[in-house]
Amino acid sequence: MVLELRKPRPVWQIMFSTHHTDVALLYTITGLAFLFMAGVLALMIRTHLFFPGQGILISDPATFNRIFTVHGLTMLFLFALPFAAGIGNYLVPIMVRYKDMAYPKLNAVAFWMNPIGGALLWLGFSDTSWVSYAPYSVIRAPGPAADMMIFGLKILGISSILSSINFVVTILKCKHPDLPLRQVPLFAWSILTVSLMTLVAMPSYAASLIMLLTDRLGVSGFFNPSAGGDPIAYLHLFWFTFHPEVYIFLLPAIGMMYELIPRFSRKPLFSQASGIFAFVMLGLIGFASWGHHMYSTGMDFTTKVVFMIGTLAAVPASGMHVFNFLATMWGGRIRFAAPMKFAVGGIALFFSAGAGGVLNSAMPLDFITHGTYWVVGHMHLFLTGTIAFGFVAMAYYMFPFITGRMYSEKLANIHFVGMMWGTVQVFFTQHLLGLEGMARRIYDYPAEYTSWVELNQIATVGAWILGGSFVFFLANLIYSVAKGKEANMDDPFGLGGKYYYPYQAKNPTHHTGY
Amino acid sequence: MKTIIVVSVVTLVVLALFPQIHFANAQLGQKTSEKQYINLRAEVWNEFFRMTTAAFVVGAIVSGTMIWLVWRFRESNPKNKTPTRWEKFDDPTTGTYEEGGH
Amino acid sequence: MGHDTAEWVFVGIVIAILFYVGVDSWIVQKAVEEIPADAETIKVTGQQWFWSFEHPDGTKEKITLHLQKGHAYKFEIYAKDVMHSFNIPDYVVFEDAVPGHVNHAWFSPEQTGEFPIQCREYCGIGHYQMRGTLVVEESKS
Repeated sequence: MVLELRKPRPVWQIMFSTHHTDVALLYTITGLAFLFMAGVLALMIRTHLFFPGQGILISDPATFNRIFTVHGLTMLFLFALPFAAGIGNYLVPIMVRYKDMAYPKLNAVAFWMNPIGGALLWLGFSDTSWVSYAPYSVIRAPGPAADMMIFGLKILGISSILSSINFVVTILKCKHPDLPLRQVPLFAWSILTVSLMTLVAMPSYAASLIMLLTDRLGVSGFFNPSAGGDPIAYLHLFWFTFHPEVYIFLLPAIGMMYELIPRFSRKPLFSQASGIFAFVMLGLIGFASWGHHMYSTGMDFTTKVVFMIGTLAAVPASGMHVFNFLATMWGGRIRFAAPMKFAVGGIALFFSAGAGGVLNSAMPLDFITHGTYWVVGHMHLFLTGTIAFGFVAMAYYMFPFITGRMYSEKLANIHFVGMMWGTVQVFFTQHLLGLEGMARRIYDYPAEYTSWVELNQIATVGAWILGGSFVFFLANLIYSVAKGKEANMDDPFGLGGKYYYPYQAKNPTHHTGY
Repeated sequence: MKTIIVVSVVTLVVLALFPQIHFANAQLGQKTSEKQYINLRAEVWNEFFRMTTAAFVVGAIVSGTMIWLVWRFRESNPKNKTPTRWEKFDDPTTGTYEEGGH
Repeated sequence: MGHDTAEWVFVGIVIAILFYVGVDSWIVQKAVEEIPADAETIKVTGQQWFWSFEHPDGTKEKITLHLQKGHAYKFEIYAKDVMHSFNIPDYVVFEDAVPGHVNHAWFSPEQTGEFPIQCREYCGIGHYQMRGTLVVEESKS
């Protein structure tokens, strides 16, 4: 690795490598790079909304629409998915005691689709919003931006299907015969669950993208009412993929917490069985709730009730994860190094976001919350509060194993306090903005709504704090890679005990820890 | 200790449900006093406040537990000087709870 | 108390709370969705980027909608081009306007005054300007 100081290698050796740790490094760095790029867009949006009617930073609504679209697409498809795949690439082969991924070349191909898809999304800068609801995306969205987005997402979708196939085969077929599936660590279980979910969910979106494209070309009218189509069909196809996709984003973060919490509590996991059960349950029930995104599209009462029950059914399984985490910490001797801080912060915010989610699923409350900043706050609380917290925790945890050096705990502390504070301030405030009735995706709002102005300003300040904390993260990564203290590679966090390290994966006889 | 926890949790749940009686009564009163139509926004917002009451009560219990856990089981707590019984193993996180670690 | 028991008790409590949430929202939604039989029908049409309204007597209005206190109104919501979402935040009236579909919402204003109307589904450049005003007047009849 470039960053592996013990054995420096030229960059091209990593780029053209198919070894799982090299691909993992590429995935992780790509994910983090896109996180910072999309984060800048988020700060632009928030800064723009600081004063109503001034047009600060973004002077026309079209640009604003393009910015929030690309922010969403980048965070979801180019940060959350690649980062999870990166950590999966590092750890899954080690956890199932295999020398590499099942299909190393496929793995590299799946990775290299990400920069291509990312380039299409960023060069197009579409304005369809990330959901790209038909018929807007069919009859009104300007090309070639929207077409480039469709192709970019298509490529990213294929990439995630390929890497899912790879993970499923690695875990199920290449697992060491002495290792029963139920003893495979829960992070690998989470990757197995989300890979199977991707294989079921993604084709529906892949189909709808092609239908969207042919609709845009004018040769079909699947979603265009003036050609006999139905926009609601697009919504069903879209949300059939993207409600399960919520769990596909979430479960790897939960799996990472399962990796960190027992380790830093110096105690075995409370219950492996309930963790597996909860993963599988979420994987199944995730497919029963897509309709709750569509309560207001003229759905009848019975259908709403069915989807509400499907939504609520996912809660006990999520609750079991939280219970498992807390019970693991109970009676341990917890070292609060940076990864543990972020993991515990992530659990706290996961609970808050989940409670908000239960509120959302209650049908009448849809009148108040749907399409407002409440939803923005809710889903960002999940994505930042749980998923990004889990991912950042894992980034700190992997850092010494990847680079051979320790990150600066002081900078990590500043990052943690800033990120926690910022997340709470922005996204809790956005819940309140939603209750005040502010619609999402609006370029500007009337200055005479003073409560909107105040809440927006509070949220924007929170966003600056959140963004500022990530400056410390970036500084920490760059500084520590070059100048950090040499890490004790046997036990970098001083927890007592030996466990598997990704750097041992370079060694053909690395199958010792698990 | 455990009975205290269980009893307090049950008490909190009961206390949380208690205000609902008030909400239910208020709603009944409203229905009769309205001429003929139900007050849509009152119905929905009442539902919202009932749900948030429940959410905040559960949230208080969960976050209270978490804060206590973090405070009590941190490494630096004087009560936590002795290493846990799992720390003598190569990897303390393997093995299951039931078997008492390996 | 074994650790399995603890987890089952926990899951039981969670399911009980969810059951309460489900039943409560079922009851409220049932009550709220029932449109009174004597409600006057207002046709609402969303297009890029304004709302237009048609009263049962044929009067047409753009952007501003005049209604009377104490009456029940049923909205028939149409969309001309792309998806919009008809929303009066202060009266919790909210339903998508989907091209090719007719959706319904209803309410009965019990307070006079001016209330904002907005679009709550992203519909393009002018989405943020797609605002209107609901004026509730004293009942004439």
